Amino acid sequence: MSLGGYVVRRLAHLVPIVLGVTILVFFLIHLVPGDPARTILGNQATDARVALLHHEWGLDRPLPVQYEKFMGRLVHGDLGSSLFYGMGAGRLVVDRLPVTLWLIGFGTLLSVLIAVPLAALAATQRDRLPDHLVRAVPLVGLGFPPFWVGIVLLLVFGLHLGRLFPVGGYGNGFTGHLHSMFLPSLTVAFGIAPILIRSLRASLLEVLESDYVTTARSKGLPERRVLVHHALRNGIVSTVSVLGVNVGFLVGGTLVIEQVFAVPGIGQLMINSIFQRDFPVVQAVTLVFSVMVVLVYLLTDVAHALLDPRVRFE
Amino acid sequence: MQGKRPLFFLAVVSGVVLAATAALAASASPTHRAATPKRGGSITIARIEDSQSFDKTNVFQNESIWITEQIMEPLYLAGKDGKTLNPWLATGYSQAKDGKTYTFTLRKGVKFSNGKPMTSADVKFSIDDARAQAKGWGYLDAAIKSITTPSPDTVVFHLKFAWAPFLADIALFANGIIPNHFAGQSRKAFYTHPIGTGPFMWDKRVVGQSVTLKRNPFYWQKGKPYLDKVTWTFVTDENTRELQLRGGQIQVDEFPPFNSITKLKSTPGVTMNLFPSTRTDYLGMNESYPPLADVHVRRAISYAIDRAAIVKSVLFGYGKPANSFLPPQVPYYSANAGGLQYDMTKAKAELAKSKFAKGFKVTLLVGAGAQVESAMGQVIQQSLKGLGINVVFKQEDTSTEFNDIGKRNYQLGFSYWTMDIADPDELVTFAIDPAGGAHSFYTGYNNPAVVKLSHKAQRETDPTKRAQLYAQLQKQAASDAFLNFLYYSPYRWATSSKLHGFYVYPLGNYHLEDAWLG
Amino acid sequence: MSIAAEVVTEAVIAEHRHGFRRRWYRTPSFVGGVSILGTMVLLAVLAPLVTRHDPTSQDLLHTLQGPTSSHWLGTDDLGRDVWSRLVYGARTDLRVAFLAVLFPFVIGTLVGLVSGFYGGWIDTVTNWLVNIVVAFPFYVLIIALVFALGSGTRNIYIAITIVGWVSYARIVRGEVIVAKRREYVLAARSAGLSDARILFRHLLPNVITQAIVFAMSDIVLDILAIVTLGYLGLGVQPPTADWGKMIADGQTFLTTHWELSTLPGIAVVITALGLSLLADGLADLLRPE
Repeated sequence: MSLGGYVVRRLAHLVPIVLGVTILVFFLIHLVPGDPARTILGNQATDARVALLHHEWGLDRPLPVQYEKFMGRLVHGDLGSSLFYGMGAGRLVVDRLPVTLWLIGFGTLLSVLIAVPLAALAATQRDRLPDHLVRAVPLVGLGFPPFWVGIVLLLVFGLHLGRLFPVGGYGNGFTGHLHSMFLPSLTVAFGIAPILIRSLRASLLEVLESDYVTTARSKGLPERRVLVHHALRNGIVSTVSVLGVNVGFLVGGTLVIEQVFAVPGIGQLMINSIFQRDFPVVQAVTLVFSVMVVLVYLLTDVAHALLDPRVRFE
Repeated sequence: MQGKRPLFFLAVVSGVVLAATAALAASASPTHRAATPKRGGSITIARIEDSQSFDKTNVFQNESIWITEQIMEPLYLAGKDGKTLNPWLATGYSQAKDGKTYTFTLRKGVKFSNGKPMTSADVKFSIDDARAQAKGWGYLDAAIKSITTPSPDTVVFHLKFAWAPFLADIALFANGIIPNHFAGQSRKAFYTHPIGTGPFMWDKRVVGQSVTLKRNPFYWQKGKPYLDKVTWTFVTDENTRELQLRGGQIQVDEFPPFNSITKLKSTPGVTMNLFPSTRTDYLGMNESYPPLADVHVRRAISYAIDRAAIVKSVLFGYGKPANSFLPPQVPYYSANAGGLQYDMTKAKAELAKSKFAKGFKVTLLVGAGAQVESAMGQVIQQSLKGLGINVVFKQEDTSTEFNDIGKRNYQLGFSYWTMDIADPDELVTFAIDPAGGAHSFYTGYNNPAVVKLSHKAQRETDPTKRAQLYAQLQKQAASDAFLNFLYYSPYRWATSSKLHGFYVYPLGNYHLEDAWLG
Repeated sequence: MSIAAEVVTEAVIAEHRHGFRRRWYRTPSFVGGVSILGTMVLLAVLAPLVTRHDPTSQDLLHTLQGPTSSHWLGTDDLGRDVWSRLVYGARTDLRVAFLAVLFPFVIGTLVGLVSGFYGGWIDTVTNWLVNIVVAFPFYVLIIALVFALGSGTRNIYIAITIVGWVSYARIVRGEVIVAKRREYVLAARSAGLSDARILFRHLLPNVITQAIVFAMSDIVLDILAIVTLGYLGLGVQPPTADWGKMIADGQTFLTTHWELSTLPGIAVVITALGLSLLADGLADLLRPE
């Protein structure tokens, strides 16, 4: 099958998935206890005032009717209005998307920079001390939750070591973002690197003992070159795969990191709108998120097929 | 806040150099308080929540209200003691003998930030609009029958009945003055960038990140405000806010947790402010749960709570055990209200008098992630164990917790109150009057004698007699143990020691026109 | 199934294609993993014997104390013994994490087995469900479920199961699709064996290895999820000792009493290390000849 045909077919699969996601998120968020009106009114919530707000938001109608309205608007590209901010939910999400993409992109890059050399070291020193260390130490990144790692990084690099990095925020302009987003991205990288190192080390071991490496060696190619070549190539393939599998988890994980570093991204919006029961925003975030995940899967598979000739389009 | 940055590595290097220079400079010249305020500079205030809306007539969130108060001001305003009401956009008022007509004289030379002078027409429009908001704060203006404007600087309020809290109600932020007919805009458009007579005017907002106000050049207090700009940001994590303050990235940290106060007090470059507040924390008891409908059980619980221990361990000593449901910074607070204090012997005696002498099981709602509630709950849990009352935790996120308490779908639950006006009436009605719309602070408490006292106090314009009525009311309410009054705590604001004149009033608001950077 | 997931599975298999099949005591990672986890389980089981204080009893006069002869690791903000809370926390967390993996493991394996073996509409529906759960933000789903069901360990199991079965279903399904074309399955079919017999006697033992290996790392991820829920206040109910809540509560004391949140973090790391070693060891031992 051609690449084009494959992509089109995969995109068509997106429709039932996204439809399922909208149904799930709509009913899930509306069935969760809690009430946006009481959240916004606080202590001043009298039954009469709550009823007024419900009527204004259309929450006094039966759920199926509300779902119909929601879908009706969605077809026209309208995701509704935020109950908390009173502005378009779609715009709220779109405004914050670049921030989270920055965090994930930068975090991924850093994790590759950490993982590739370490995995190469471990694979060449198999079952010796460096290998054991490389396999054990990064687990710290798995064991300590991001909110702990984040605060420690802020303490060390934001305050004590000469205030190298700003304490939270998003910064202005490209260099500003680069500067502000370094520590949060590093926290993201600490979370992915252990998984990445593991799979990268495994695939490197496989390559190092495969026939064509033996051939390369017998041709007199220097060991270092063989390693670098394959380490990099496999590094990219593994990263793509690991990210592909973990993208959902990764984007979910950023919500705590965004919280700690006061980064105004999708994760922060998501968690705040769940806590406030801002239904339209939760729906909008989930929808955008799921489309993103499905697209990343598609890209992963395409990239994988392009990078690894052994994989063909199914 | 951040200017343009050079290349990343350059930034790192220069950052180190700058930090070193700053450290040297700091050690060379110890900070000292300059006597006269300086003009210029801008500050950043980091808060726990993002602002929701700037429609002062309909918003209930403090993080929004405190910003609107920098832009829009009312005719009168509560003072630093939380009790006196001072003339603000009005210079004075006179009251008719029947207590039903108030005539205000407006201050001369007050201009809106768009340069237009404020007149009585603006005042009438503002308050007519505020009192029409059924889903907002309109209910506090319910006593007003009509407003007339005999001259550009005279406003007359005609009341339906004599109403003691009237002046305090007029001083509510929702009754702040805005231009007539929203300066020609729609209501919605106006409140996305409101105009008022306050020290600061609208600059810009990035939703989810920050709100910035700049100096109002037409401000009526000569020479004020001192600051050029104020930015409010939104930083959820309290540790991050603290580090930002210590790193000089922000100048004001909203509500550092109790456990960090002692440390912040001795942190160089940081001033840890504790301002007297009108905040009271309660443990509500829902009387629809049979054991809690028994006054002896409620008294037993109230006696069994070691408030001093809670203040010591949960608030780290920064608070005071409460003795009334009214806080000391409210007019007519009674120091002799007689709230039941820790005494296990009395607690056991009271429980023995009840129908549940053998103890019972009770569920306590605790806000998810709310450290103070969780720690307090664990102290109370252990105390009540001594009475044979088995407290089971039920953790819920804030929205569910509010909803369950609001719908009285709970047994024990925490709540608190901070005053919006310098008069006890709003809280008293909310807390003890079933007709107040909140089922007596969601407890179901209904003592007709207490309700009657409250109604009498609302119409009593003689302060001495009013004080007697409220003293009697507080005593009876305490003896009925309808709520457990836990503690009074101060407002906690950590600021940069370069920031002067930052003061938070008992109602929670702050006057940034007085703040300046040294 | 997406190619990406297959590749990871492949990579895991690849790692264990080396060397020779060892007995368990000659597999260092297995021995290491078992000893670490064994010690933890032993401590958890013997908790009352190795601690001197009740993990929930407060001593408000002695809060935030450093190590003393009575409190080996000091006390927390409510005067509770940190060592006791760590040990009892192991009880809570190991149990919760193990059970939180058990249910998705069983359900996911069964679903993967059936959908991979039969294909057709069963497979289509399964895939659709799997894709929806995968495309749904993990924490939105978990948080919404915990909100809807209320917090507490039972609801953590349910929430993690609803999300977690997907990974097992994908792994097992992928394995089954490959295995069912193998000779032994084809032979069993032509011999007229029942589907159930083929599925459980022949396919299951061959495809379950990857699921078991994945389960080990999944336990770590679940502990992390529970820790994060603790940070958001939706985890294990106080006053029960739990590492997640200890890290989250201790985080506010990070600048003054760093050990309060660091010690339980180290406990999680050690558990992660044990499980990771165990996963490697198991993969070696369970690898079919």
